[in-house]
Amino acid sequence: MMKQIVTMQLAAVAVTLALGVGIAAKADDVTLTVWSHEADEPAKVALREKAARNLEASHPGVHVKITWYEKDGLSAALKTALPAGQGPDVFYLEPDQTDYITAGYIVPLDSLVNWNNIYDWAKQVWTHDGKVWGMPQEAYTVELYYNKDTLAKLGVTLPANAQFTQSEFLDLVKKARAAGMTPIAQGVGDRPYPGAYILAEALLRKLGTDDYGKLLNGQLSFEDPRVVAVFTWVKQLVDAGAYPKNFMTLKLGESHHYFYQKPGSLMFPMGSFYTGRAFVPVDQGGQSPDFPLGVMQFPAMDGGACNECKTIAVGASFAINAASKHQDLAAEYLNALSTPEIGKQWIETIYLQTAVKTGATEFSGPYAPYFTELMKRQEGAKYFTGMPIDILQGQCKDAFVQIMNSGFPGGLLSVDDAVKQMNQGCYKG
Amino acid sequence: MAESAAPPRARFVAWLAGGSIADSRQAPMRTILLFLAPALIVYAAFTIYPVLRTFYNSVHTIGPRNAQTFVGLDNFTALLTQDRVFWKAVVNTSIFTVVGTIGDVLGGLLLALCLFAKVPLARTLRVVWFTPVLMSYVVVGIIWVWLYDYDWGLVNLLLGWLGLESWQQSWLGDPATALWALVVTHLWKWLGFNMIIFLAALHALPEEVLGAAELDNCGWFAKLFHIIIPMLRPTLVNLLVLSFIGKMMMFDLVWIMTGGGPLWSTETVSTYVYKRAFNWNTFDLGYPSAIAVLWFIMILLFVMLITRLLRSRDRLEF
Repeated sequence: MMKQIVTMQLAAVAVTLALGVGIAAKADDVTLTVWSHEADEPAKVALREKAARNLEASHPGVHVKITWYEKDGLSAALKTALPAGQGPDVFYLEPDQTDYITAGYIVPLDSLVNWNNIYDWAKQVWTHDGKVWGMPQEAYTVELYYNKDTLAKLGVTLPANAQFTQSEFLDLVKKARAAGMTPIAQGVGDRPYPGAYILAEALLRKLGTDDYGKLLNGQLSFEDPRVVAVFTWVKQLVDAGAYPKNFMTLKLGESHHYFYQKPGSLMFPMGSFYTGRAFVPVDQGGQSPDFPLGVMQFPAMDGGACNECKTIAVGASFAINAASKHQDLAAEYLNALSTPEIGKQWIETIYLQTAVKTGATEFSGPYAPYFTELMKRQEGAKYFTGMPIDILQGQCKDAFVQIMNSGFPGGLLSVDDAVKQMNQGCYKG
Repeated sequence: MAESAAPPRARFVAWLAGGSIADSRQAPMRTILLFLAPALIVYAAFTIYPVLRTFYNSVHTIGPRNAQTFVGLDNFTALLTQDRVFWKAVVNTSIFTVVGTIGDVLGGLLLALCLFAKVPLARTLRVVWFTPVLMSYVVVGIIWVWLYDYDWGLVNLLLGWLGLESWQQSWLGDPATALWALVVTHLWKWLGFNMIIFLAALHALPEEVLGAAELDNCGWFAKLFHIIIPMLRPTLVNLLVLSFIGKMMMFDLVWIMTGGGPLWSTETVSTYVYKRAFNWNTFDLGYPSAIAVLWFIMILLFVMLITRLLRSRDRLEF
C-alpha cells in the first residue's frame, strides 16, 4: 500500500514537472502573425509559407501564422484593425499605400532588414523622408506580349529592335481589325489600371522620365501639346477598334484567356506578372505550352524624348506594424523572405522578376526562352519606377481610374474631354 | 426568513421575481431585462455604437495614429459645395431609387394579381418568380455581367436572333445604358419578394367584400382600383418604404457589376462612401463618415415624407 502511494506520488510529481516544463515552454512561445494578399496564387502562398517554416526552424518556439486575403479584403481589414491598435505583426503592402507611413502604422526598416539582398532601385521605391518603410519582394516591368504566329499571318515582321513606330503600330491595329480579330486584348472589369497601359507607356516615351513624373505628380498640365498628341494617337487606335467591345466588363483573368485561348487576339499589354496566370496548366486557365508567345517593345513615339524608356515597378511588399510587440522577430521574417534561395524559388516557380538579388543569369526549364526574350527586351532600357496607379493619390487617382483606365480607351470620351477632366482631377498648377 | 439572512441563491431568485410573488400574467421587469440583455448588448455594440461613432467621426478629421481633430461642419461644407462625384452619386441613386421602387412595387403587384387570378401554371410561375430572391447579390451580379456581355451575352445574342443587331450594346460599358441595366437586374431579383407579400395580402382580403362586388356586377378593373388596391394600401405603403430604403443604400449589385463606372455613371452614394473610406490612400474616416451621416438624414427625411403623404389610420410596422 505504501509502495503504491509513493509510486502514485512520484508519478504525480513527474506529470507536474512535465506539464510545468511544457507550460514554461508555451509561455516562451511566440506567435508571429502575418496578413498577406494573393491567397489565390499557390506558388506565392507556398513561397511565403516556406519562409515561415524556415524562420520557425531557425527560431525554436516561434510560430508564424499567415492569414491569407484578397487585396480589397486585406485593405479593409487593415484599415479597421490598425486604428484600433491591433492587426498583425507583418502585413502585405504595395508601394502606393503611403498612407500607412503618414498615419504612423508601420516602422522604418533601415536597421531591421538585411538590405544586402535587395536591389537598390527597389529599396528606393520604399524610401520616403530618408527612411525605408517596406521590404519589396515582387518586381515587374510593363510589357507588350503578342502572338508571333498571328503577326506573321498578318504579313508583318517585327523590327530588329522589336519596336514599331506610331504609324506602324496604328497600321498593325487596323490590319488586325480588318482580318476580323481584336488587336489588343484588354479589360477593365475588375482592375483600376490595365486600360491605361498603352496610353501611359506612350506618354512615358513621349515625355521622358522627368516630365512623365511631373505629369503624374500634377506639375505638368494634361493640355501640354505633347500629352494631347499622345491622347490623339491613342484615340486613333481606339477608333480603329483596338480594344474588344466588352472592354469595360472584361476581367483581368478573362483578358488573359481572351489573348491566348478564345477568341484570341494579336497583342496583350500586361505587367510581367502575366506569367502567374499564363504559365499554369491550360485547364487552370493558362496558355498552351506551344503558344507562340512573343514580347515586343511598346511603340516609339514620334519625337519621343525617351523611346527606350520602360516602366518598372515594385508590387508585393511587406511592412512591420508599429504596434507589433515582436518587431525584431518580424524583421527576421522579412529577412527570411528575401534570401537568395527564396528569390531563386520565386523566379523558378512564379516566373516573375523579384526585388531580391538571386545572382541568376541563366534560365532553365520550359519557360527559359520566354525569360531569355524578356531579358533581351530590358537591354538598354531606361526605367521609370512606378505605375501611375502607384503614384497617383486621392481625386487624381479616381480620375485616372475612370478616364485614362476606362472611359477614354473605352471610346467614351473625346481627347478634349479626357485631358480637361484629367487636369481637373490632377493638375495643381 | 428575513431577506438579508437568506442564502445568495434565494436572494437572487427573489430579486428576479421582483421580491414578491409575481403576477402570473406578467413577467417581472428584472426578468424581462435579464433575458433581453444579450440581444440589447449585441444591438448596442454592432448597431448603436457604430452609428454614434460615425456621427462623431463626421465632425472630425482622423490624423496619424488615430489623432482626431474637431472640424465642425467643414466636412459637410466640402461635401456639399466641392464634391462633383458626390452629386453625381446622389443623382444616380435617386434615379435608381425612384424607378426601381415604382418598378419593384408595381411589378410585384402585377405578378401577384396574375397568381391571384389563377393563371395557368401559377404554382410553377410562383417558384420561378421567387427564386431570384433567394440568390445573393454576388451571384446575381456575376450572372447578369455575363448576360450583358457584348460578345457572348444572352441579351445581345437574343437581339441578334431577332434581327435587332443595331440594338446590340455594351450594356454595362456605356454610361447611357449602364444604370438602366442595373435597374433591370435589380427588378429581376426583387420582384418576387414583393409578389409574395402582395399575394399573401390578396389572400387575406375579406371574401365577402369581393363577393359583394361581384354580385353588384363590378368589373375586374373596377374591383381592382376601387376595392382591392385601397384595401392593400397598408401593404403597398410598407413595401414602398422598404423598397425605397433598400435602394437608397444600394451597394452590392453596383459594386459587383460596374464598380460605379463607367465614368461614375453608376456611382451610388454607398459605393462612393466605400471608395472614400477604403480605396483612397487615407486613414481619415471623417469625410466618408460625413457622407454617410448626410445620406442617413436624407433617407430619414424622405421616409418621414413618404409615410406622412401616404399616411393612413393603420399603424405601419417596418
